[in-house]
Amino acid sequence: MVSNNERLKKLISRVLDIELNSITDTTSPETVESWDSFNGLMMVSELENEFSVRFTMDEVHAVKCVKDIKEALGLQGVKFEDE
Amino acid sequence: MRTLEEICLPGYDKSLAEYIALNRKIESALNDKELVVNKTIRLAILASSTIRGIEEVLRVQCAEIGIYADIYLGEYNQYAQEIFNSGSQLYQFNPDLIIVFADTRAITGEYFFMPYKGLADDRKIWMAETSAFFRNLVNELTKQTSAKVILHNFEIPTYSPLGILESKDDYGFVESIEDINRGLRNDLKNNNQVFLFDFNTFCSKVGKKEVFDDKMYYLGDIKIKLQYIPSLCQEYLKYIRPLASLIKKCIVLDLDNTLWGGIIGENGVDGIKLGPTPEGRPFWEFQQLLLSLYNRGVLLAVNSKNNFDDAIEVIRNHKYMVLREEYFAAIRINWNDKASNIQSIAEEINIGIDSLVFFDDDSVNREMVRTFHPEVMVVDLPSDPALYVETLINLNCFEMLSLTKEDKKKGMMYLAEKKRRQLVHTATNLTEYLRQLETVVVIEDVNKGTIPRIAQMTQKTNQFNMTTFRYTDEKIKEFVEDDNYLVISLSLTDKFGDSGITGLSIVERKNRDHWWIDTFLLSCRIIGRKAEDALLAYIVKKAQVSGASLLSGAFIPSEKNMPAKEFYNNCGMKKMGNKDEMEIWEFDLKKDFPFPDFISIRESGDQISSN
Repeated sequence: MVSNNERLKKLISRVLDIELNSITDTTSPETVESWDSFNGLMMVSELENEFSVRFTMDEVHAVKCVKDIKEALGLQGVKFEDE
Repeated sequence: MRTLEEICLPGYDKSLAEYIALNRKIESALNDKELVVNKTIRLAILASSTIRGIEEVLRVQCAEIGIYADIYLGEYNQYAQEIFNSGSQLYQFNPDLIIVFADTRAITGEYFFMPYKGLADDRKIWMAETSAFFRNLVNELTKQTSAKVILHNFEIPTYSPLGILESKDDYGFVESIEDINRGLRNDLKNNNQVFLFDFNTFCSKVGKKEVFDDKMYYLGDIKIKLQYIPSLCQEYLKYIRPLASLIKKCIVLDLDNTLWGGIIGENGVDGIKLGPTPEGRPFWEFQQLLLSLYNRGVLLAVNSKNNFDDAIEVIRNHKYMVLREEYFAAIRINWNDKASNIQSIAEEINIGIDSLVFFDDDSVNREMVRTFHPEVMVVDLPSDPALYVETLINLNCFEMLSLTKEDKKKGMMYLAEKKRRQLVHTATNLTEYLRQLETVVVIEDVNKGTIPRIAQMTQKTNQFNMTTFRYTDEKIKEFVEDDNYLVISLSLTDKFGDSGITGLSIVERKNRDHWWIDTFLLSCRIIGRKAEDALLAYIVKKAQVSGASLLSGAFIPSEKNMPAKEFYNNCGMKKMGNKDEMEIWEFDLKKDFPFPDFISIRESGDQISSN
């Protein structure tokens, strides 16, 4: 069974074209050049498909880093193990 | 070094993220100079909303069919500015194809929510002004560029503030948008350069509820859910394939459980399913759809493992058989393997094996053909015959940029070809054969009406083509309007029928003394009967009459044009040397080149020679 952490990291790695193991909770648009507004929206689309959830606009706005993504997913019932 | 197909692995549906990743691989292979590129196309995409994502997906979809797409993405919502600015990056990019995607929300603005703030007359004015705006946009584009243009039409809204009373208004909101679409369609009917892309129908196909994501619209002015971008790009591919001369010409069909239900050898004529019964209808309608493609110029052929007599009995005599024997350009009903049959079908019809599409219900047969002939498009036919019609409808490989009268009659012409081949066997020698054919060739200047056929022939003819230059309608029009060019078509009729325009030449009068043959090609169907000699003789005569002393032309070898290699030599031209890949050949106009025997030549109605 692939963990949710792994699924999330693979998705982010694909969308932003960054190394899997460079992704931490603090990864953000400030630390990753390719995390621009369009790629951010692409991430939203991919996350919704991958985890079968739907985010609200406010939830999307509130995300400032990978940790925020996990929290937003957590509110929709997707659990992440501690790393 | 890698090819585009190696990187993109065609043959399966990819997710958006996969497309983005593959696009990166292509770009980095290109940067590292490790990419083999055989075909390039320059695409410009302009839109009224955010269209990021389309570039990446389109590049990969083009790569899957062996084309590198060099793409210019217009600035956000600057489509009109770029089109009306003759010095804009759009025009500097020099695209082959321009896609203009203006959407309903962008053009309606406040009108979308409050269309009934004004009266019916106000809505009529809005419709007229908006239509005029897009008409001007199209005019400007056709003035500034000869690129093909794909203009989106507008999605008809599914909601109106009037609700069920919408259709009762004197001139309603929905009606005003329908009228814009209708007006654009009428305007563009006779325009070969600009195509109206039915975006409204695309949205209906996907589902208008499904295709739009409000959140994405509010956050980023994205008008179509990102996961549907690949489907939208597949629609664009319908235009890109024929523009890149990648057109499939012939559908090769199995018989048992493909054209009818059941196995003729086991079930007998009365046991197979074909006709207006529930089990027979899927096959019956599949045949009807195939016939409609035949009537539009797609060839059909049979490739079946069966006793010939059993199977041909159904084709000739079954009450509900739509595709009779005469509709097939080639028939292979035997016990040979299907891969060899496909090879021999391509040879008999005299088309490249890469222009075939193969339908067979048996996955073992499909795999075998795929293995031996990877260039053939082998369709993954679903196991449920109820899905055959839909599968055929969704094949996008027969699209063409124009349809000529020759296209529509193509099937009949292949039947005439079959009869000619039979004559070859019965005539005692070549001379007898040529005499009995009673060939008449008409050579005349290309005019506005014949430009599409001429352009199409430059794009599709591979074998008897001296230089293989590919030209669009717009380019041919330029040649026709230029007094320094002679652009002529050759039409051929014989005892068996009219083949229509089957040859052409584009000759440049470089100066008083020197004529240069830029393009000289004939359909391979009419080679071997001296029509090619007649065309050259006509050019020689014209050049001599005008006082020129030198006629020259080039032969540029390609993968497919070996049949043309010896032509200039056989006509008494001298090879003067090589310039890169080009062989330069010269004809001394002080000599004569007589018109061939057994061909009557007419120059637009007047007979100029008959032997």
